[in-house]
Amino acid sequence: MMSAAWTVYLKELVDALRDRRTLLVVLLSSVAIGPAVLMLISQMVAGIEQRAEERVVVVHGIEHAPTLRNFLERQTYTVREAPACYEQQLKDSKLGDPVLVVPADFESELRRGKVPVVELLASATNQRSQTGSGAVLRLLRGFNQEQATLRLAVRGVSPAALEALRIEERDLADPASRAAQLSTMVPFFVLMAVLYGALNAALDTTAGERERGSLEPLLMNPSPRLALVLGKWGAVASVGILIAVLSCLSFLPGQWLLRSEALSAMFRFGIGEALWFIGLLLPLAGALAAVLMAVAIRCKSFKEAQANATIVVLAVSMMPLVTIFNQEGQAPWHLWVPALAQTTLMGRVLRGESLPWADVALTVAVSALLAATAIAFVARTLRTAALK
Amino acid sequence: MIEVRELRKHFTQGRGAGARTVLAVDGVSFTAADGRITGLLGPNGAGKTTTLRIAAALIEPDAGSVRVDGIDVAARPTAALARMGVLSDARGLYPRLTARENIVYYGRLQGMTRPAAAARADALARMLDMRPLLDRRTDGFSQGERMKTALARALVHDPANIVLDEPTNGLDVLATRSLRDTLRRLRDEHGKCIVFSTHIMQEVERLCDHVVVVAHGRTVATGSVAELNAARGETDFEETFVGLAFSAEQGPQPGLPWSAA
Repeated sequence: MMSAAWTVYLKELVDALRDRRTLLVVLLSSVAIGPAVLMLISQMVAGIEQRAEERVVVVHGIEHAPTLRNFLERQTYTVREAPACYEQQLKDSKLGDPVLVVPADFESELRRGKVPVVELLASATNQRSQTGSGAVLRLLRGFNQEQATLRLAVRGVSPAALEALRIEERDLADPASRAAQLSTMVPFFVLMAVLYGALNAALDTTAGERERGSLEPLLMNPSPRLALVLGKWGAVASVGILIAVLSCLSFLPGQWLLRSEALSAMFRFGIGEALWFIGLLLPLAGALAAVLMAVAIRCKSFKEAQANATIVVLAVSMMPLVTIFNQEGQAPWHLWVPALAQTTLMGRVLRGESLPWADVALTVAVSALLAATAIAFVARTLRTAALK
Repeated sequence: MIEVRELRKHFTQGRGAGARTVLAVDGVSFTAADGRITGLLGPNGAGKTTTLRIAAALIEPDAGSVRVDGIDVAARPTAALARMGVLSDARGLYPRLTARENIVYYGRLQGMTRPAAAARADALARMLDMRPLLDRRTDGFSQGERMKTALARALVHDPANIVLDEPTNGLDVLATRSLRDTLRRLRDEHGKCIVFSTHIMQEVERLCDHVVVVAHGRTVATGSVAELNAARGETDFEETFVGLAFSAEQGPQPGLPWSAA
């Protein structure tokens, strides 16, 4: 029994690994994409950081407002004259900074105690200008505050009359949990890597065998059906895990490429986390492989199986979203749902929390039960499947 | 030796009120002796494939039995399959494996060691004249090349009994001839018991020592080509076959014993 399963396992593994074209697509889509997204984010964040460091305010008509200029320069900001066609540039996202427009009568209005109106131009479709306008708004409020305080001081009123309360912001998240925010995308990518890795092999060893007409002769060998299914299942799960390992490892060099220092400090994914991830994903790979095979064995052709497997793929890819949309935080039932449980536990690993063995054992048990049920179903269906 | 006794099998098509019962096999009996080629001759839909699938333990019969060298297939399918080489209607190969790997895989599943299976693949390749094919991937093989590989795969464990379901389907004349030669050699040099099903009477005339005519799921006549011709008073075997298969609505013809040895 075990030697037959081993024979099938080796054959299916060789068969799957020889399918170079499919493997290449899987590698591109699930191994390369994670680091690529990571780099894109880092590029964006680096741009924002760079602008924050530059401390530049782009103003049109600053010559009309020496007081404002004085204030901005005292805040160590550099004032830069806006380009001629700034509105168009903002619309076309060619200009990354919001533009402050100062009217010609700014200084005289201010001196006469009237309220001059300045415009802050940004575009909702221009993400970078949007991000920058917050800083400019804060600067302008500072200017308001200063002018008001001065006027009150002249009239002998305490500035405290203007301030009912003072706000101090304090971020309670420690660096590790802040890092987890960025790293949350890693569990999603490795989860999908397991799924896409196992998908093709699962369909090929079941629906593919039916379509080729090789399942019927296979069953004419004196090997127990369970041995055949176990061998196939082992190979499918192995390919899934192989892709997941590659995906996990790809994030390690991926983070060296991070262009933002703050970001790489925030991104916590080392070899230890990678090993935890792989350990947590092992039972899930087994369960997903078995479920995909159970779905596919009922299908007469590879194409039909692909259409049916979409439901599994969709369900699994929705799971990480539960943790995002769920307002009440982690619920105990999360650990009972395969894929969701692994996402939850991987999140905990990233936040540097400890994993109780009971929780890990629960997810392993659920995956094992699911895998065993699906394998039994495939073994039972194998003969009817071979004949039709 | 393969003994088939009074096989019966029905299938249900559709579900619920629209369900229809089809009697695929309704009393097939024959004996295929060692050192002989037994032809299972019948029109399309006569129940040949179902009979052979029951013999290969893929389907359980409603009634009747198949014994392979005295082993009851339904009771001990693995033991029976170890003594049988089956080339079924479906003969899909693994396109990403070489012909040799396809053959060795089945040898391993039959419980052979890897070196033994590899040596056997070489021997079969010599016998089937397919040595240049051995280390090529089967993707892109012609029908004849596929059939040879599938046959080698079925014979890898050197079974005493060989069952072939319409093996000449889709083969050209040269491939058919070479298959016939192979089967004769397996019979004469190795004393195998060979059963093969077909709907082509020329093949039966050229090859079979013993013919089992199957129609409407029943054995309607058994005997050698000459015996069957004589019993019908015909000289042309085609006339004999048409007469037997298409006029016989009820049971075996009088004067023709079930399994004339």
